[in-house]
Amino acid sequence: MSNHSMNCGQVKRLLPPFLDEELSGRVREQTASHLASCPACRAELEALKADMGLLEQVGTPEVSPFLVTRVMAEVRERRRAAPHGFARLAGSLAAALVVAVSIGAGVLFGSGLAQTATPVAENSTEEAVSYVESSAADMYAMMAGGD
Amino acid sequence: MSHCPHSRGRTILSHPEVPVTNDADLVRKAQTGDLAAFEELVRRHQHGLFSYLYRMCRNASDAEEMAQVAMVKAWEKLGGFRGASSFKTWLYRIGTNLCFNLRTRRKPTEELYETMAAPDNERPEAAFQQKLREEAVRKALDCLPEDQRAALVLSVYQDMSYKEIAETLGKTVRAVDSLLFRAKSNVRKVLAEDRAKGII
Repeated sequence: MSNHSMNCGQVKRLLPPFLDEELSGRVREQTASHLASCPACRAELEALKADMGLLEQVGTPEVSPFLVTRVMAEVRERRRAAPHGFARLAGSLAAALVVAVSIGAGVLFGSGLAQTATPVAENSTEEAVSYVESSAADMYAMMAGGD
Repeated sequence: MSHCPHSRGRTILSHPEVPVTNDADLVRKAQTGDLAAFEELVRRHQHGLFSYLYRMCRNASDAEEMAQVAMVKAWEKLGGFRGASSFKTWLYRIGTNLCFNLRTRRKPTEELYETMAAPDNERPEAAFQQKLREEAVRKALDCLPEDQRAALVLSVYQDMSYKEIAETLGKTVRAVDSLLFRAKSNVRKVLAEDRAKGII
């Protein structure tokens, strides 16, 4: 690659990304090649480095040691007030799933099992309670027999 | 800026139950509601975010308040974070938006700088020269439009790549290259004037 494939104007435009190591491939090679043979552009690169170095010398105050504590206190407070986004999403999905299953079950029982469902619906509350109690009694008796 | 090492198999001093890991893993844990993981993210990025916001808004109280708001917002929006960019650039973008909004509302006269470090009593001349350099740099940064300033601060002080700056500012890499070229040219003009006057 010829050293004169780029002129000084083009190279000066590329000095900041060259210094920031943002150039790649042929452009970087051409820029480096021009700089190797051009004292004026090399001087410009050094001046740019010096000015950027000056910027880097300026510090900032220390962050408060309580910033993390304050952030986490607010996060916990907001979490108490409203569940975390994912928990909310999970809750919504769970609720949607329950609704979908209920609807599906309703459709299933409402069509194929309508005849078996009807007698249960017709049973009185006392009969239902009695059935549950007797089932429980049978279960306890079975467990006692096992001992 | 200080960041925890990303080596595995170690633990974080403040939270021994959280192993040292990368941001992406911490984000995934935090997305399931793991507060210790989110706290570690806050701990890692507090200095960098505060420093960036301080250089942007030029007031420590405002910078700290914005850093806090940005981090709480990050927690609230974490469920929607898909990892297309890094957590750092995503967090800084939230901070940038807060900062640009604040700067739009405030007049420049309200902005002030705070003392960086205690004066060096041993070498008063060196301390004075350093103070002059700091003032010159601040003045040079003050002259920049906010997008140029943000790009320059992220590049010089946060050591971000052009791609990361582009993610943070919501611009293309090409636009960032152009912003940085103009920012550096403008800053250098101001510094050259101060040099010619013998200020620095």
